[in-house]
Amino acid sequence: MSLEPTATSPASAHLRAVNKFYGDFQALKDITLDIPPGKVTCLIGPSGSGKSTLLRCINFLEEYDSGEVRIDDRLIGYETPGGKRMSGRRLREMRCDIGMVFQQFNLWPHMTALQNVAEGLERVRGLKRAEATARAREALAKVGLADKEANHPSRLSGGQQQRVAIARAIAMQPRIMLFDEPTSALDPELVGEVLAVMKQLAAEGMTMVVVTHEMGFAAHVADRVVFMERGELVAAGAPREIFQHPTDQRLASFLQGYRERNSLDF
Amino acid sequence: MFSFQTIVENLPTLLGAARYTLLISVLGCAQGLILGALLCAAALSKRTALRRAAGLYVSFFRGVPLLIQLLVAYYLLPVVGINVPPLAAAVLTVGLCAAAYLSEVLRGSINAIPKGQAEAALAIGMSPGDLWVRVLLPQALKIGLPAIVNELILLVKASSLVTVVGIVEITRMSQSIASSTYRYLEIYLAAAFLYLAINLVIAAAGRLLERRLTV
Repeated sequence: MSLEPTATSPASAHLRAVNKFYGDFQALKDITLDIPPGKVTCLIGPSGSGKSTLLRCINFLEEYDSGEVRIDDRLIGYETPGGKRMSGRRLREMRCDIGMVFQQFNLWPHMTALQNVAEGLERVRGLKRAEATARAREALAKVGLADKEANHPSRLSGGQQQRVAIARAIAMQPRIMLFDEPTSALDPELVGEVLAVMKQLAAEGMTMVVVTHEMGFAAHVADRVVFMERGELVAAGAPREIFQHPTDQRLASFLQGYRERNSLDF
Repeated sequence: MFSFQTIVENLPTLLGAARYTLLISVLGCAQGLILGALLCAAALSKRTALRRAAGLYVSFFRGVPLLIQLLVAYYLLPVVGINVPPLAAAVLTVGLCAAAYLSEVLRGSINAIPKGQAEAALAIGMSPGDLWVRVLLPQALKIGLPAIVNELILLVKASSLVTVVGIVEITRMSQSIASSTYRYLEIYLAAAFLYLAINLVIAAAGRLLERRLTV
């Protein structure tokens, strides 16, 4: 399994005072965060703390209500901060460069593994069928699934499905990758194969934003860990600071709870 | 005495009329599926005006008997200066009506597709058109197939209503043969079996497609 770095340079992302409401409920409160290029940023925190919502604002799958989200220096979702929505075409153009991997894989069940990966290359990147297929095969080989290309998702294990989903994202040669709890739906014995692929990507300098409950991954692979609670960004820092010297009380009790449940040290 | 002879003698004429039944059913169904998919997209649109328009359309074409729709189309179109042959008017009306039902079947099917399917497509930058054609409709057709086959079978049977605009299809032809031969039972039985044959083919094709779509 080898994931050659792509020709494109990794992107950074910048959030400034981002707010998101669902009716009266405020899911994100004034979030300001910089995602450095070529680094792994892990978002941790209790369920419902706004991690996934934050992640989904980065590719505008979730529309933020105020503030700014930029990929490099390009604002996503709106023409100007607080202005009118950007055109569908320009949004799609930006999304091409932002790969996303979902908790539930979201592979298209009516297509084979190969078709799942080639679809975006053909329809979005506009490659010819033969070229798209060749690049899709490469991507599947990178996640170690060259021999499963003819399988439909229903004939793959959860771990294999998630690796196909990662192949689908990296085949597009994104400049930043978003992972929304990529291992939470997997049986414990299948988590490792997915994390291994993600570690490879990280080692090759992909910008990655990972919402995760895998504290081991956050501790060992992340360059930066961000702790969220109730829609607020509570603490951010290097894994060592966050896990070993938590200064914030809420973070400390979150980690304490995690340790008790998992009886692990990290 | 039951006369097979009558059936055999009149079968070619009945089969000739069956061409119209088939023509109206096939074209009406094609039109219904295409227009139904568009209506369904409108019904699920974020734009209120589109949703309202789709809602009105469905209410009208589902709420007014097809027989009345055919009569309205037949008598109204010439009044507003549109002169179309009765067959075209019939196909159009049957298709418009089928679209109303099929759009609701498709809407239910699309709503049954997990939201993540569309999100995965949007996240890689897929256009709304591709999202529909490549991701949503194929899955919706599979989910809705049994109900769609139901609609198509109803459509074949409803095609007998086009006699009111002067088209001689199976039902009309069998009436006419029966009244000239006085062999009502034989002719109507033959007509019944013709309809049954057509609908068995549709049902079989539906089952075949369902098996092929199941992976």
